Amino acid sequence: MKEKHIEKLKEIVGQKAVTTEVEDRITYSFDSTRLEYLPDAVVQAKNTQQISEILTFANEENIPVTPRGAATGLSGGCLAVKGGILLNTVHMNKILDINPIDLLIDVEAGVITEEVDKSVSSYGLFYPPDPGSLKSSTIGGNIAENAGGLRGLKYGVTEDYVNGMEVVLPTGEIIELGTRTVKGVTGYNLNSLMVGSEGTLGIVTKATLSLLPKPAARASLLALFDQLTHAAQTVADIVSEGVITSTLEIVDNVTINAIEDYLKIGLDRNIGAMLLIEVDGHQGAVDVEAEIVKKVAAKNKAISCKMATSAKERDALWAARRAALSSLARVKPSTILEDATVPRSKIVQLVEAVNDIAQKYDMPIGTFGHAGDGNLHPTLLTDLRIPEEEEKVEKVIQEIFEVTVKLGGTLSGEHGIGISKAKYLSLEISPEVFDLMKKVKRTFDPNNILNPGKMYFDD
Amino acid sequence: MVKDKQKTKISLKKDELFNCSRCGNCLAVCPIYKQELDESVTPRGKLSLLEAVDKGVMDFTNRLSDKIYTCTMCNSCTVECPSGVALKEIFEAARLDLVDSHRYPEILDMLKKRIAEGHNVTFDTNEGRADWVKQIPGAKLEDMIKDSAEVVYFAGCVSSFSPRTFSIPRSIVQLLDQADIDFTLLGDQEWCCGFPLLSSGMEEEAKKLADYNVAKIKEKKAKMLITSCPSCYHTWKHTYARLSTEAVDFEILHISQYLLKILKEGKLSLNPLHMTVTYHDPCDLGRNSDVYEEPREVIQSVPGIQYVELEKNRAQANCCGGGGNLESLDADLAASIALAKAAEIADANVDAVISACQQCERTIGTALKKKKKELKKKIKVWDISELVLKSVQGK
Ligand SMILES: Cc1cc2nc3c(=O)[nH]c(=O)nc-3n(C[C@H](O)[C@H](O)[C@H](O)COP(=O)(O)OP(=O)(O)OC[C@H]3O[C@@H](n4cnc5c(N)ncnc54)[C@H](O)[C@@H]3O)c2cc1C
Ligand code: SF4
Ligand code: SF4
Repeated sequence: MKEKHIEKLKEIVGQKAVTTEVEDRITYSFDSTRLEYLPDAVVQAKNTQQISEILTFANEENIPVTPRGAATGLSGGCLAVKGGILLNTVHMNKILDINPIDLLIDVEAGVITEEVDKSVSSYGLFYPPDPGSLKSSTIGGNIAENAGGLRGLKYGVTEDYVNGMEVVLPTGEIIELGTRTVKGVTGYNLNSLMVGSEGTLGIVTKATLSLLPKPAARASLLALFDQLTHAAQTVADIVSEGVITSTLEIVDNVTINAIEDYLKIGLDRNIGAMLLIEVDGHQGAVDVEAEIVKKVAAKNKAISCKMATSAKERDALWAARRAALSSLARVKPSTILEDATVPRSKIVQLVEAVNDIAQKYDMPIGTFGHAGDGNLHPTLLTDLRIPEEEEKVEKVIQEIFEVTVKLGGTLSGEHGIGISKAKYLSLEISPEVFDLMKKVKRTFDPNNILNPGKMYFDD
Repeated sequence: MVKDKQKTKISLKKDELFNCSRCGNCLAVCPIYKQELDESVTPRGKLSLLEAVDKGVMDFTNRLSDKIYTCTMCNSCTVECPSGVALKEIFEAARLDLVDSHRYPEILDMLKKRIAEGHNVTFDTNEGRADWVKQIPGAKLEDMIKDSAEVVYFAGCVSSFSPRTFSIPRSIVQLLDQADIDFTLLGDQEWCCGFPLLSSGMEEEAKKLADYNVAKIKEKKAKMLITSCPSCYHTWKHTYARLSTEAVDFEILHISQYLLKILKEGKLSLNPLHMTVTYHDPCDLGRNSDVYEEPREVIQSVPGIQYVELEKNRAQANCCGGGGNLESLDADLAASIALAKAAEIADANVDAVISACQQCERTIGTALKKKKKELKKKIKVWDISELVLKSVQGK
């Protein structure tokens, strides 16, 4: 970028909101993948108009622009792979309107996920998508990655809650997509296309999100199993009994040991797997469903299946599940969190395959995740400072993806493709579909200035 | 310039730096990030800069230094970090390196000079260090400075020189009198504990103060040192063993712990106070020294008190903005952190917020005053010693 470009940016957003100093650029060069790409300039945007002016100008001058939320992404989406402008959206963090009758909330894109939920709580409402990163991540980032969470099985993912949005196109136009209604079929559903587009089709500036009434009651259960296969079978059986739990999380033996090392809460280190299950709804339904869960677990040889009897006990269960990734992160210096997702009926095969791969390459892998969604997080534990490890990691990931696709699954359930999974796209997506995606990208962004270098669209 | 990269303090923290996964959990709790929304001053942002230096990608610069010092040293990031990175220790090491390479805020030179010449953090000479005693009815300084005593009350610089916080040491000596404790002050013989130097990265200077202060306590043949300042407490309790040449062979208690002890021994009798109060955990007492329960026990032992917790409490407590010398480097930022704290306190709907730190009392007090118009009712800001004295005096 040239001096005159920087000057122009300063004209648009003000002197203080633009920096080209290396100290700043370094801190905007990473996300939670820990990959690093230095942008040429970092810009703090305050409103839609500024973003529109920036994109208009960048499009004319052919300067790459990469939108960034809280940089908790796990696929490198907000990294300025081609340099240029790194556009920070977190200052756009106002909650604009809450409408408890229409069950809608209007927010700016930089609002932190948890804030959405907190701000509607007093109305007896909640915002269901709850990614593990919800205390830091932004709604813009959640929309761009179509983030999921622990409640996905019953409540779905971000996509299911985005009614509409304001978007700035790569060419600078400000458009509105979606509706404020429960239904809407006027034209192509570009609103949905934008969800999960990883910041490559437009920059989301505002969003209209839908809300739900808080369930009246909930019950949390913890089931322990000798063998992982029994736990996985329980997952499948609970659903086929007609119980759609709000949470159905699995934690394998490696992860249980890591949690015990970290929290020392008296988990049995020998158990093969545990399930954390939550049912919610009206008290009557909750009681019935909890009973069914217990029966199914017993039928599948659960060592035990206990319901939390107090808020304190429930919090303890959740703390253990939430500590899964943290605990694994303490085992080795580098943790690589994958996101393979298979049909629910194939979970056992996936976990067994992952264990075989772990043995074959002698690389510890802890697996936990949203079993009810078939979405697992095999987590590679390694030290990337050791030269050979990187190559090994590549091979392990390649093999995990190969089985995933073979089992009818997908490379990423919720973390996105970005750069870290771009090279595996062809495992899942046919050349025709890939080509179609490229055309969509070119239609939105003829000069390929918005978040270039992602999903390998331009190579 | 750093003379030798291998010899920097942060190079010893190489593994820790690498352990940060950049997960961003720490953003949610960092008081600086919550105000600035700028990655360049977040906990993980700071780590990325230190890693860049360690890897030789860049050198210590003034700009980098500003970013590292833009921190209240509240330690919230460490508590939140799933990977177990000890961030505050890393930031302390970085500050040592920054001082070594002469890249630190100019204002710290002033601080160093003031402490070296006046033995305290203010512009005043140390002679007036115990002037706060004068306003206590019937009290004479001579009576409070003895040749030897069981307990030394170490008031600390801020409470000794900042009139707004005089009520803390005044309350304490009155309580000690009331409880018939054999105590002494050090008067103008009390020197700064060294905390401001330590947290700025000036360890060598702090060592001299440690040696001096330890010798003074020994002269008094005291069995115990008590202090009302959490930073003094932290420094005495957790760094003097390392800094001081002489062994620290007396007990060190924060006033909240000491009050609990003498209450349990029945040395003070409390009258009811009918009010709803909450407690603010000072960073240096709570997160940094692990003292959470004693202040709560003291408060709740006052009859008639309705006690409520703040939304974020104990290890998760929000910082008031008063730490890490931030106030002298970026007063506006420190003030905005304090305002956020004040808002949390206002939400708790209490009559008073109790703290156990003169710095917190000052910053929170100022912030609540600024918010006066928005508040449903006036909220008092008291130190724990003030609360107990009011209860003892029955008013
Ligand atoms: C500890 C941890 C736990 C996690 N748990 C989950 C989980 O349970 N479920 C899950 O789905 N993910 C999870 N994630 C991944 C990550 O948090 C999500 O992908 C999240 O949505 C990213 O939000 P962000 O604000 O950090 O976005 P960033 O990382 O900043 O950006 C992500 C993508 O969004 C784009 N983007 C950002 N803002 C905008 C905007 N306004 N308009 C257009 N594009 C934009 C960026 O260009 C980038 O491509 C987790 C991550 C961590 C570190
Ligand atoms: S919480 Fe810990 S691991 Fe995560 S970004 Fe912050 S310092 Fe790094
Ligand atoms: S010590 Fe406190 S202010 Fe400093 S980086 Fe950590 S959380 Fe932020």
